[in-house]
Amino acid sequence: MAHLMDMVLQMLAGTQVTLEIFLLTFVLVLPLGLLAALGRISSWRLVNGVLEFYIWIMRGTPLMLQLLFVYFALPMIGIKLPDIAAALLAFTLNYTAYFAEIFRAGIQAVPKGQYEAAHMLGMTRTQTMWRIVIPQMIRNVLPPMSNETINLVKDTSLIYILAMNDLLRVARSIVQREFDMTPFVVAAVFYLAMTLVLTWGFKRLERHYGRYVQ
Amino acid sequence: MSLLMRKASAQAQPTNAAHMVYMMNIRKAYNGKPVLKDINLTVEKGDVLAIIGPSGSGKSTLLRCLCHLESIDDGYIGVVGRTYASQDDVGTVSYVEGRNEREILSHMGMVFQQFNLFPHMTVLENLMEAPVHVKKMPKAEAQTVAMNMLTKVGLADHRDAYPAQLSGGQQQRVAIARALCMHPDIMLFDEPTSALDPELTGEVLRTMRQLADEHMTMLVVTHEMQFAREVASQVMFMADGVVVEKGTPDQIFDHPREARTKAFLSNRL
Repeated sequence: MAHLMDMVLQMLAGTQVTLEIFLLTFVLVLPLGLLAALGRISSWRLVNGVLEFYIWIMRGTPLMLQLLFVYFALPMIGIKLPDIAAALLAFTLNYTAYFAEIFRAGIQAVPKGQYEAAHMLGMTRTQTMWRIVIPQMIRNVLPPMSNETINLVKDTSLIYILAMNDLLRVARSIVQREFDMTPFVVAAVFYLAMTLVLTWGFKRLERHYGRYVQ
Repeated sequence: MSLLMRKASAQAQPTNAAHMVYMMNIRKAYNGKPVLKDINLTVEKGDVLAIIGPSGSGKSTLLRCLCHLESIDDGYIGVVGRTYASQDDVGTVSYVEGRNEREILSHMGMVFQQFNLFPHMTVLENLMEAPVHVKKMPKAEAQTVAMNMLTKVGLADHRDAYPAQLSGGQQQRVAIARALCMHPDIMLFDEPTSALDPELTGEVLRTMRQLADEHMTMLVVTHEMQFAREVASQVMFMADGVVVEKGTPDQIFDHPREARTKAFLSNRL
């Protein structure tokens, strides 16, 4: 029993690392993704082209490869980041690309008539964006965002290759040390608990932002 | 100033101080296909101008060019005596921009075929949005104005509803109230009843009639011939991007001179 308690405690510490990476990435990705989405729909060709290329690279290569690149290749050219910063950089770069595309679709789904009404009422471009378009975008993006956010929780497990003691790595090392499969089951339960909370949270957000739709 | 001199200066820089709407030599093409071919239009204070004509005649485009939802290729637009769009020496048209544009737009309210209410805001929030955030009116004052307008269109008890909870006719009346909250001098209507079920057009037309009775200057693109006949002070018939005929409802509906006007009306009445 004491043994089990000890194991769960170690895994809780691992969960803390997982949650840290997840939460920090999530908080960074929201504004960066929105910014990138606005850049993608701007009429500025250069910004547009650069962002399209960036998104192509980030979505077109494995996240694992990007992690390895940041962690092992960057130091070779003199950029040595602390472990957690390296992980955050890779996750943020990758997920910003996905969120940018989600936000872009969400913005483009807002009908042209909304911009026209705002124009006629004398609203500036910034006011139109922040007060009319983005609030409607939020409702559009919640379902795909919920998907990607849950993916992010699970993708954090990739940092085991950076020798960071996240939930999965802790579980794996206990399994290897003690030839006991229980930690895998416990890890699965922990991941499920985290995604359950997220699913519930997104459901509530969808209900809140869907209140004006018949 | 002699008449001759006035005429000469009018050509160089149109003097339109007396007109609510002054559109001169308006041309517009989509992908090389002309949709407005040298349109001239003046609207005076208190006029109710009904613009009628077959679809594709350019009547909506004309209205949308007036408020810069589309841009003209050639010509001059003045609103309440101020230049809105003009042409430089080499013929490039530009509308005034930024703060100046918003000032001119504040004289015009627009009612769209598809209502274009803000779906994420309640009726009251829709009405208060521009007074509070564009005109910087205190919220309490904006709410008083909004409630007055809602009462006027008969929807005061729907203040907390979201647009999606209202019928099309109610939404369009909210849209009219929203435009009126900015106290425009000119109201533009772009086929305001075309998206409505026939039984819902009446309530919207009644609201518009009420506005006309209060001497609001109105430009109404419409297929409602009866409304044009009874409410408009001027009727303009457009076809293929030109103004075929313009006159009082009596002239247009009862004594049309042009064959195209006659043909159009005979299918309609």
